[in-house]
Amino acid sequence: MSINQIIYRNLKKNMKNYYVYLFALVFSVALYFAFVTLQYDPAMDEATGTVKGSAALKAGSVMLIVIVSVFLLYANNLFIKRRSKEIGLFQLVGMTKGTIFRVLSVENLMLYIGSLLIGIFLGFSVSRLLMLILFKVTGVEDVATLNFSTEALVQTLVVFSAIYVLIMLMNYIFIRRQSILALFHVSSTAEQRVKKMTPFQMLLGILGIGLIVFGYYLSSRLFSSDFFGNQLFIVMLTILASVILGTYLFYKGSVSFIFNMVRKQKGGYLNVSDVLSLSSIMFRMRSNSFLLTVITTLSALAIGLLSLSYISYYSAEKTAKDNIPDDFSIPYSENTSKAPAPEQFTKALNEANIDFTTRHVDLLESGVDLWNVIELPDEEGGIEPAFDARNTTMTVIGDDDVADLDVQKTDVIFVNRMKTMERLIPFKEQGQITLSGEQTSIDLTFKGLKDIAAIPLRLTGGFPVAVVDQSVYEVLASDKDPEIEQEFTEYTGVNISSNSNVEKADEIFSKTGLSKWAAYESRHATIINQKLNVGMMMFIVGFLGLAFLITSGCILYFKQMDESEDEEPSYTILRKLGFTEGDLLKGIRRKQLFNFGIPLVVGLLHSYFAVKSGWFFFGTEMVTPMAIVMLIYTGLYSIFGTLSVLYYKRMIKMR
Amino acid sequence: MAILEAIKIYKTYGNKFNKQEVLRALDLQVQEGEFVSIMGASGSGKTTLLNVLSSIDRVSQGTITIEGQNFNQMKDKQLAEFRKHHLGFIFQEYNLLDTLTVKENILLPLSIKKVSKKEANKAFDTVAAELGIADIANKYPYEISGGQKQRTSAARAFIHEPSIIFADEPTGALDSKAASDLLNKLSDLNAKRNASIVMVTHDPLAASFSQRVVFIKDGQIYTQLNKGEQTRDEFFHDVIKTQGVLGGIKYEH
Repeated sequence: MSINQIIYRNLKKNMKNYYVYLFALVFSVALYFAFVTLQYDPAMDEATGTVKGSAALKAGSVMLIVIVSVFLLYANNLFIKRRSKEIGLFQLVGMTKGTIFRVLSVENLMLYIGSLLIGIFLGFSVSRLLMLILFKVTGVEDVATLNFSTEALVQTLVVFSAIYVLIMLMNYIFIRRQSILALFHVSSTAEQRVKKMTPFQMLLGILGIGLIVFGYYLSSRLFSSDFFGNQLFIVMLTILASVILGTYLFYKGSVSFIFNMVRKQKGGYLNVSDVLSLSSIMFRMRSNSFLLTVITTLSALAIGLLSLSYISYYSAEKTAKDNIPDDFSIPYSENTSKAPAPEQFTKALNEANIDFTTRHVDLLESGVDLWNVIELPDEEGGIEPAFDARNTTMTVIGDDDVADLDVQKTDVIFVNRMKTMERLIPFKEQGQITLSGEQTSIDLTFKGLKDIAAIPLRLTGGFPVAVVDQSVYEVLASDKDPEIEQEFTEYTGVNISSNSNVEKADEIFSKTGLSKWAAYESRHATIINQKLNVGMMMFIVGFLGLAFLITSGCILYFKQMDESEDEEPSYTILRKLGFTEGDLLKGIRRKQLFNFGIPLVVGLLHSYFAVKSGWFFFGTEMVTPMAIVMLIYTGLYSIFGTLSVLYYKRMIKMR
Repeated sequence: MAILEAIKIYKTYGNKFNKQEVLRALDLQVQEGEFVSIMGASGSGKTTLLNVLSSIDRVSQGTITIEGQNFNQMKDKQLAEFRKHHLGFIFQEYNLLDTLTVKENILLPLSIKKVSKKEANKAFDTVAAELGIADIANKYPYEISGGQKQRTSAARAFIHEPSIIFADEPTGALDSKAASDLLNKLSDLNAKRNASIVMVTHDPLAASFSQRVVFIKDGQIYTQLNKGEQTRDEFFHDVIKTQGVLGGIKYEH
């Protein structure tokens, strides 16, 4: 038989065995090519809009290369180990290592070219679909047409050639290092042997769970007022370190520790499901702990980022409504008379026959003493808030300018409540504050915060606004402290009566040049802009998340293929003892539930706590978007678990 | 009473162009409580015979009955059910699950039968004491010697009190001391529990522990030896003599 024949036969045989590897290869190429095609498509200019958008796409494609190449290298590594016997045999019949390397290279090259072609074809066909999705999420209205981009093709070819060279290099090193004898033994030495549980391991197990719980606890305290400035950063690092290390120890010790306890409980009397799941996983997880930690951490990262971006996308409209109470906000300042007055806009609206209402609010920046109403961290902590609560300023408005709110003469109510701010500066339910003008100062009873958006957030920087009785406001206004700088003295909100006219009004708003001025905001434009940015982000994160999900799923699946080979003798024994196929399958289902479920659950938990600690910076709604992301992730992920069960099923059937 | 009865069994492998007959019209009977050895050269079909007798493999022709139940009429699922209640196995490579402790390995057959935990523990204590492995109950297979592994395997075969036990070269991987130790234990258990044993071996010494030795050649029974009132030593010499005759190649010229 000539070498060419050997190559051809090997190829044919491997096709059948390694179709998952092929799938992975095709999938990687398709994914990458589709992504790069999008990147080079001229129609994308509108969706990406800003330089930031295209930079994000570029960063995404680099991330994609990293994910894909690590995955392919890993898969190749697994498969060359599986073929070590064959390689040993070739060597035994007198082939030189060089020849074997050539055989492998040509074989791989053919696989590569084949899957590149298929992958590029697939990638090209799905990229239109992807573009449609992208346009949909970013709200861009454009027809998704696609041109085959040569640049994308060249880039894909270059990247995958580089990966091919890398893989061949690895194979070369692998072959060089092996002697004939070692090759025959590789699969048996690759896996760690069964070892007894030591007290040290139990300690590691407990420590692992402890570290994770500690990390979770810290994360729940992260944005409460306990930590400030630099401390915040240190706490974040601590959380990250303790959770990741905890995860590693969890796989290294905790899983076997818990399973061992369950086993002890059974007093040696195990049924077949226990045999296949408990006892096998106990030892396996330990030897795969590093891989599992990486997979779990990255899954958590992917789910977390996906959740956060979906949260901000999901609540883009609501956030805009909270931040900008009226359709158009036009602040006015006496000092800078250059800025256009609201009349300019209302006149234009009248000319265009658009009905609207206006809302006028007078603003006053006044000195205030908030010492008695701010919850300060414990004295022992010794941390002072970043501003002087005894002597600061805040915006004050009269209650005539706020609908549905009537404030007593001696009282004050804070509006423009913002959750993020409250986390950092928590207010007490009640207390005394002092508002001061140049000469007079007025003591008022603080009656709490109200969820009312009185003026745009932009005007106060997120700090609440004090609402006082109109008469109190007049007193303060007449005694204004000239030393306090005030950017805006009036605010006019314009509301368009009919929703269908908002878009037209927005056009006028930008045509009259009002939108250019600082703090002159159109809610409609803000929402669109927000959706564009967040949608782009979400798309890229989603794309990478999907790539990561599928690659990690494949890796776990490959691992299971490997494991099934190792455990084949056990199944034979069990069959001989009189267990039926059904019994074995039941055990294997449970085993796969653990094998795929444990990393998934840990990953979901990690991301849950990560998202929970800081989601309020991104939007107003946490549970629904996060649950949706997690459900989709779990659904896609479990496909791989199911596939591996099917693989085992086929193997048991052959017994 | 014959507990196992094989009548005119054939086993062929391969397709119709390249047929290989491994068993040819073989008859065999095993009485209740009997310890039978099957001997023969490599390729004589003794392992195949054991496989079909123990229902792991199916015959091409002929009938096998154990305790009056015919294998041919049973489906795979029923066979598995039958195995778990009536048969025990000991293999040359021990066939222990290396992720389980000795005790867990031994208790496996009971868990199939869904015996209560208390009874299972009682059964374990008895059989472990009989085979002298009570002190290694919580060790993993990699921690114990070959002889201990094979005794564990034997304990697993005996624990659910099967009517017949099949042993395939149980001493094949053991040194002579461990081997005779195991065989002594096996014949003890055979006597005490009245469990029939069918053992395949090519070691004459191992065969001399049994009551009857069946010699197989080219898929047929060549001859049989009964121990009768002989001592083990005398029986051993008989076996060797027969084996010598059996191993000789006749030149037909």
